[in-house]
Amino acid sequence: MAIPRENSLTDQEIKTPGIEPGSFRDPDSRVFISHGRILRLLSKQGLADWQKLSSSPLFAELVAEGKLVGTREATDLPDLPDVLQGGVAAVLEHDVIPFVSYPYEWTFSMLRDAALLQLELVERSIGAGMMLKDSTPYNVQFVGARPVFVDVGSFEQLREGEPWAGYRQFCMLFLYPLMLEAWKDIPFQTWLRGNIAGISPQECRNLLSSRDLLRRGAFTHVALHARLERHYENTDTDAKKELKTSGFNQELILANIRRLRRLIKKLEWKRADSEWSGYELTTTYSDEDAKRKAEFVTEVVRTEKPGLVWDLGCNEGHHARIAAETARYVVALDIDALVVDRLYGALAKEGQAKILPLTMNLADPSPGLGWRGLERKPLPDRGSPDLALCLALIHHVSITGNIPVAEFLDWLQSMKTSLVIEFPTPDDPMVSRLLMRKRVGDHPDYNRDWFEQCLAQRFDVVRSEVLSSGERVLYHARPRA
Amino acid sequence: MIQPSLAYIDASTGSLLIQMLTGGVAAAAVVLKMYWRRLRKLLHIGKPEETDSQS
Repeated sequence: MAIPRENSLTDQEIKTPGIEPGSFRDPDSRVFISHGRILRLLSKQGLADWQKLSSSPLFAELVAEGKLVGTREATDLPDLPDVLQGGVAAVLEHDVIPFVSYPYEWTFSMLRDAALLQLELVERSIGAGMMLKDSTPYNVQFVGARPVFVDVGSFEQLREGEPWAGYRQFCMLFLYPLMLEAWKDIPFQTWLRGNIAGISPQECRNLLSSRDLLRRGAFTHVALHARLERHYENTDTDAKKELKTSGFNQELILANIRRLRRLIKKLEWKRADSEWSGYELTTTYSDEDAKRKAEFVTEVVRTEKPGLVWDLGCNEGHHARIAAETARYVVALDIDALVVDRLYGALAKEGQAKILPLTMNLADPSPGLGWRGLERKPLPDRGSPDLALCLALIHHVSITGNIPVAEFLDWLQSMKTSLVIEFPTPDDPMVSRLLMRKRVGDHPDYNRDWFEQCLAQRFDVVRSEVLSSGERVLYHARPRA
Repeated sequence: MIQPSLAYIDASTGSLLIQMLTGGVAAAAVVLKMYWRRLRKLLHIGKPEETDSQS
């Protein structure tokens, strides 16, 4: 039986205290991970901002509403690293997020909900005499299907007469990705994964047609924005001073926030169909096999009592839901953003806090990104699973993704996870369809004997079961001790 | 005491100035005032530049 982890932190993070490598951008705040605790080190200025926030009713309201991560002043401090210029003035401790995810793994609705949360926080902060110093979706995490703002260090004292410094970042990382997906059906995930700073106003302008400029918000937030950026690129205009002396005030920021909210609420990703969106309806399973498969998963989850489960190729999340009945937390991954978007919608409606839906191509999973490749972590580095569900998956990874069967099992073995893995034999109608698209003999490693040999070399196979169709086999396996 | 603005992200001049236009009707007065001030400065008339007194 797997020993469930108490949180998403990796063994390395629990054993070796260290600075979170993605937290260096704000000079007033660094995140330090020590023995399973998430600590935030504050500079003198950071402390002043925290005192302003924590003494405001807004802080307690946001935490109570689940919109801001639970945070308190830390006691019983470990040795702290000397990473802030001017020294550490205070240390906060945050609740641990069960599993960290990034915007390029979210679906349209997830990014939209994160954007609306960001706007709400800016609006309510202004009401409390505060402001958010940045506007990045990397400050938002999901607990199940609920967005939570995690960067308490982002709150700062409002400065009268100053414009919203985070507006450009909001456009680049929230607004433009949503516009492009809603208007052009361009998946924003690849763009955000390609550039950690997002899509610039000029890049977005280049992607829109003249007709698109007639759409709500396009002319001002994209075209004019890009034009002004170009115009002022090499000038010494002191925009902040000029705006201040011309009477700019926070009412204008609030008006912008309200307009952005209306705009974003109206953005919809109208894609009706995708390769996998009708899978549960068009699947080749008999009812009996589907029922037996669900029972097999239930039995293994009850036996393993896993902490963290990954459901790889989750589709509509049927097995993720079964796992969530027992497991501490389930990360449900699928390559098809549309089915994950629908799953997110359903989970959000239910208020589900134990299943995190993400979109990802397992043949090209999220790598380390950003400065030194450490700012954004690869998937397994954020907490490897105690149990991985790989149902109706390996034929797609192997035949469509051209990943050798042995290498896929190597990857699973590297995470020391237990498995429920299904092997659809070459006689299965779906496998036959996939093989038909390839040359005869392209996948000599895709056969049951070789799969079982590879599995047994890497895992202890607890049991297997052939489904009644005879074309699919389920295996329960554990990592070698 | 509020420190002078030290936003660590690059907001870009264009992105700051466009916020006069994203503020809707209420922003019109700010736009007019800014261009009026620019015009007066161009013509070398009016009061000397106001100083920014934050501290």
